[in-house]
Amino acid sequence: MIYEKHYVWSILLRLYHWAMAGSIVALSVTGFYIFNPWTLTNLEGTGLFPMMTMRNIHMLAAYLFTGAIVARLFLFIFGNKQERVWDVLPITPRNIKNLIDTLGAYMYLTDHHDEDRLGHNVLAGMTYVTTIFVGFIQIIAGFYLWLPESSFWQKLGNIIFGTQQFGRYIHHLLMWYFLLFALIHIYLVIWNDLKNPDGLVSSIFTGNKFRHREVK
Amino acid sequence: MTDTPERTIPDPQLNRRSFLKGCTAVAAALGISEAMIPKLVEAATSAQRPPVIWLHFQECTGCTESLLRASHPDIARLILDVISLDYHETIMVPSGHQAEKSLHDTLDKYAGKFLLVVEGAIPTKDKGIYCKIAGRTAMDILAEVAPKAAAIIAMGSCAAYGGIQAASPNPTGAVGVQDLVSGTPVVNIPGCPPNPVSFMGTVLHYLTFKRLPVLDNLGRPLFAYGRRIHDHCERRAHFDEGRFAEEFGDYGHRNGYCLYKVGCKGPGTFSNCPSARFNDVDVWPVSVGHGCVGCTEPDFWDTMTPFYERLPNVNIPGIAGITNIDKAGKTILGVAAAAVGIHAAIGIGKSMVTGCGCKDKK
Ligand code: HEM
Ligand code: HEM
Ligand code: SF4
Ligand code: SF4
Repeated sequence: MIYEKHYVWSILLRLYHWAMAGSIVALSVTGFYIFNPWTLTNLEGTGLFPMMTMRNIHMLAAYLFTGAIVARLFLFIFGNKQERVWDVLPITPRNIKNLIDTLGAYMYLTDHHDEDRLGHNVLAGMTYVTTIFVGFIQIIAGFYLWLPESSFWQKLGNIIFGTQQFGRYIHHLLMWYFLLFALIHIYLVIWNDLKNPDGLVSSIFTGNKFRHREVK
Repeated sequence: MTDTPERTIPDPQLNRRSFLKGCTAVAAALGISEAMIPKLVEAATSAQRPPVIWLHFQECTGCTESLLRASHPDIARLILDVISLDYHETIMVPSGHQAEKSLHDTLDKYAGKFLLVVEGAIPTKDKGIYCKIAGRTAMDILAEVAPKAAAIIAMGSCAAYGGIQAASPNPTGAVGVQDLVSGTPVVNIPGCPPNPVSFMGTVLHYLTFKRLPVLDNLGRPLFAYGRRIHDHCERRAHFDEGRFAEEFGDYGHRNGYCLYKVGCKGPGTFSNCPSARFNDVDVWPVSVGHGCVGCTEPDFWDTMTPFYERLPNVNIPGIAGITNIDKAGKTILGVAAAAVGIHAAIGIGKSMVTGCGCKDKK
């Protein structure tokens, strides 16, 4: 048995991944605070600005998040083979077969693992594309809330959400999408790492995956 | 304020001082220079100023009431003096056939010149039979009058966006004027009721400059609806510093803290309430301890309710009892966590029965 090391994830993709993962944690915590400020709410004369601080952290993280999403959109088209969007969508016979195999494996029906596939499996890839899209909507809602009187964001926001209040509602609901995604994502990444020898979890730190081959 | 007869019965003669005060108040709301006030006065008293037809559809007359209440007498008298109201069901003298005649006379004589004010939503379901005046549907009347008007002012949230009548499930198919009229410019003056100053500002702007004020994306004049309440609220410092009323009547509420946590919708609402204020006694809802309910925004009845919560509820079909947005989120997350647990347990169970499913067991 030999293990071949393959460079799969570029540095930009890994940076984007951790920028996104980190900013989502910060955005969710500060977002919860903005929704329901839980600090002691009758302190006077302390010179603390908890709501303002939380909103500023939210915005700082929001710019990081926006940068990450923009980087990912760039990589969808100009990234390496594994990173491009058509490598993970069920649009080729190879990808459709992979989708079916993956569903089977997740339902414990088969043990099949695509040995010649270095990138995401197609089910994961579709979820990631959806997540990037949801992130894009979240950014539009966020800037609409942040710059309510800017004519550009106001126009765009009014077309997509109708009113500020509805934009805020969607923004809040989508937070739950990200939390749901994070839960399932982390579970499945670990699950796959246990099942297969390609070193999935470390790949998002080092960029390398492993392929194993029988030597006869 | 005690209601003595002297106080509530307005002086039928509009005196010049009161008239000028009214014009000045409107000029301030419009944000135009003091030097323009004489022009405003001239336009408002010109003999050639256009007549106004005021149509009432599905409404509560609250907008008319709030305009004409004597608690802001300068503005109320200004309205009665500036606008020669040729057809206004609440205040005109003729009734029945005479009233209809008055309407048609104005339509014929001033076609293309008069201002049309609409108050109330227009029901469209079942050919509009849910609102009829003199035997004709609101849709019919609007379709006849609107194309002949020089401009239309949709007065109140109902005429602008449908208001409470259009609240889900909107049983009568109520819509605002802008959804039915094309070709004639429409200005929305939403609010439930709107501030009379915003209405008068629009009318005087039109009379003085012969054109309508600049509008935002939702058809509202920017001079009155260009700024967000939350950014001009006197309680904003409490918001930034994290001081909130937790419930009505508590320590924070009594000390004038921000009303965000008791459902204030100021962060999502555009209006001049914090600066124009109401009723000549310089108050507005937030200043007297009640959160903004967002009445100037489209669909406020659906998106701003519950009024004392931050965000609308979520109704997931099939799951009863979940309403609060975060309860819904936590339930979904809980179900997902349980699914993850079951999935992992099946995997462990299977590998105990069939051996490790991993690829490199050798
Ligand atoms: C995954 C990403 C994000 C999550 C989970 C998130 C979460 C939240 C939550 C829960 C709220 C509170 C909503 C409420 O109850 O009123 C909020 C508010 C807000 N978010 Fe985000 N957010 C995200 C991204 C962004 C981005 C990219 C922006 C970009 C500008 C942004 C800007 C804002 C603003 C301006 C507010 C309103 C603050 C206020 O009302 O004072 N958010 N966010
Ligand atoms: C401890 C936490 C995490 C670990 C160990 C981890 C690990 C990984 C790994 C190994 C991959 C590659 C998976 C594959 O090839 O299918 C990946 C991809 C991804 N992860 Fe995470 N992740 C973590 C947290 C998060 C969080 C919190 C988010 C966002 C909510 C996130 C979003 C993504 C996305 C969007 C991708 C796809 C990358 C792409 O666009 O190509 N991850 N992650
Ligand atoms: S906007 Fe409000 S006050 Fe005006 S007619 Fe409609 S319900 Fe009445
Ligand atoms: S009371 Fe309402 S409008 Fe005023 S600062 Fe608080 S949330 Fe904003």
